[in-house]
Amino acid sequence: MNFNQRVYTVLFLSILLIGSAYGAAEPGGNGDATRDMQCGGACHGDAALNETSLATLTLSSPSTVYAGIPTTLTLTATNLSLSSTGVVGFFLLTDTTGHSDTPQDAGWEILSDSNGGSANYVEQTLSSGQAETSVSWVVRSSNEGFTPFYAAIHHGGSSKPFFAVTSTGYDVEAKEIPENLPRLAADFIPQSTRILDVPTVLTLQTEFTESVQVQWKVEGGAVMSAQVNTSGDNLWSATLPAALQPATLQWRAVLQGEGPDQTTPWFTLTAEEAGWEIEEFAVYLQAFSLLFLIAGAVLALQSRLTPLEVSSKYDQTDLLPLSLDADPAIESVTEGFSEESETAPLPAGGLPNGWNEDQWKWYGHDYLAGKYGGGQE
Amino acid sequence: MISPETFHVVSTELVVGAFSVSGLSFLFCLLLHLDVLKKEDWKPLFDNVAHFTLAFGLAATPFAVLSGLSSAPGDGLNSPILVNKMFLSMTGMGFAIGVFISRWRLSQRVWATSKTATVQCITGLAACGSMLLTASAGGTFLRGESLIDVLSLPYETVLLFPTAISGIGLAIGIGLLVLGWLRMNAASSVH
Repeated sequence: MNFNQRVYTVLFLSILLIGSAYGAAEPGGNGDATRDMQCGGACHGDAALNETSLATLTLSSPSTVYAGIPTTLTLTATNLSLSSTGVVGFFLLTDTTGHSDTPQDAGWEILSDSNGGSANYVEQTLSSGQAETSVSWVVRSSNEGFTPFYAAIHHGGSSKPFFAVTSTGYDVEAKEIPENLPRLAADFIPQSTRILDVPTVLTLQTEFTESVQVQWKVEGGAVMSAQVNTSGDNLWSATLPAALQPATLQWRAVLQGEGPDQTTPWFTLTAEEAGWEIEEFAVYLQAFSLLFLIAGAVLALQSRLTPLEVSSKYDQTDLLPLSLDADPAIESVTEGFSEESETAPLPAGGLPNGWNEDQWKWYGHDYLAGKYGGGQE
Repeated sequence: MISPETFHVVSTELVVGAFSVSGLSFLFCLLLHLDVLKKEDWKPLFDNVAHFTLAFGLAATPFAVLSGLSSAPGDGLNSPILVNKMFLSMTGMGFAIGVFISRWRLSQRVWATSKTATVQCITGLAACGSMLLTASAGGTFLRGESLIDVLSLPYETVLLFPTAISGIGLAIGIGLLVLGWLRMNAASSVH
């Protein structure tokens, strides 16, 4: 490799290395999921490339939070300056170590997020020039006590990715539940999706509750009431109207009983088209059919096109040297060869009847071995 | 224990990496055997690299497929992209198995004529292409975008044959596989 080739090689590799820094970013976002803060760096390829976001993050929650009762944590982000795509991701965390730092790791369950899922990391796509937004999570603690919550943000920019995390924790104290507080059952998991064109029946399991009201609203709309029926002790069902297009609505329940009235957080319900279905057996059968058909076709084609090497036990030419004249080994093999030494010894009575010497020379061994003419007499 | 999602990412990266190197090596093999590149001493190098990485990618593919199925959101095959991923990955595996067995059973004779060399290289490239398309479909499924979105591939459309046709195809495929195998064995048998 001469000098010029080395220079070109170094330049080429340098371009690849520089390009990887920009190519590794994911400008289209990563999707809502349960992610630790490490993703705030890793999702942008290399955390060392991140600039500090100038966004201001503020967490808030109701003044009173009970262990085992769903509550809402709201994150308000201001002073946003995003990339042209407008994609921004928000984290709800319980520490800033970069691993095992999700609310689930601290004993908090995320029942729903503002996108209709149940992830601690949610993404939004903001319109151009929008500098403020908010996201919320409905969470439930399984333990009493204080938990510090942190919020983090990552987004693109003019040329570099940006990341920021709140410097101090927002302490939330989960208190012991009063004995007779009307509440949703401890294992209640809110429904997060529903199918288009079909009214939705919500089933609520409650405790210490004598009556329930269910309210719902769509974005920007008025708060409406749903019809609620009871179908047993602390078991309620509410019917929400059908959605005609993919959209989200929020609902909450007002619970009344002996204790003070309780209002649940707003739960998000996303309307989706009916799930796509296919006959799975047909898919798997076709997949394996493709596998075997293609592999078989390749094998059949190659075996047909390849010239076959046919060998025979009678063909021992490969044992011979390439040139008889040039190989002295042959000479040594044939050296000392005499017709006498190869001729079978005559039987005691001399040549068998009807044999001449020439025949005995060639077939005498076979005669003695009993393979010719009846063998030894 | 790691989650199926993480395992799928790991196995997918192994598959895509191995098949990419394999595809590049098959391209070089093709150029060398068609005498576009005149470097005789490169032939065994790219031959070995192409088939070794192909075998490695082939070994990792079932793990990628199975972990992909278990890590997909929802139950089973609930998206046309997932179904197309399944078809593409199995197609790639079919090409790769054909290439690998041909090279194994026929040894250097796959390079004996320009026809066999071309078939071997193009089939290897097809295996690589199928796997890269599978990965691209995965990007479209997960993030809604992929590098080859410019090709506007119809990932949302599924071409599903009737079960009977697939069954016949499977039988023919197994038959071809057995015939090809026997014919390749016959090449080295004693007459």
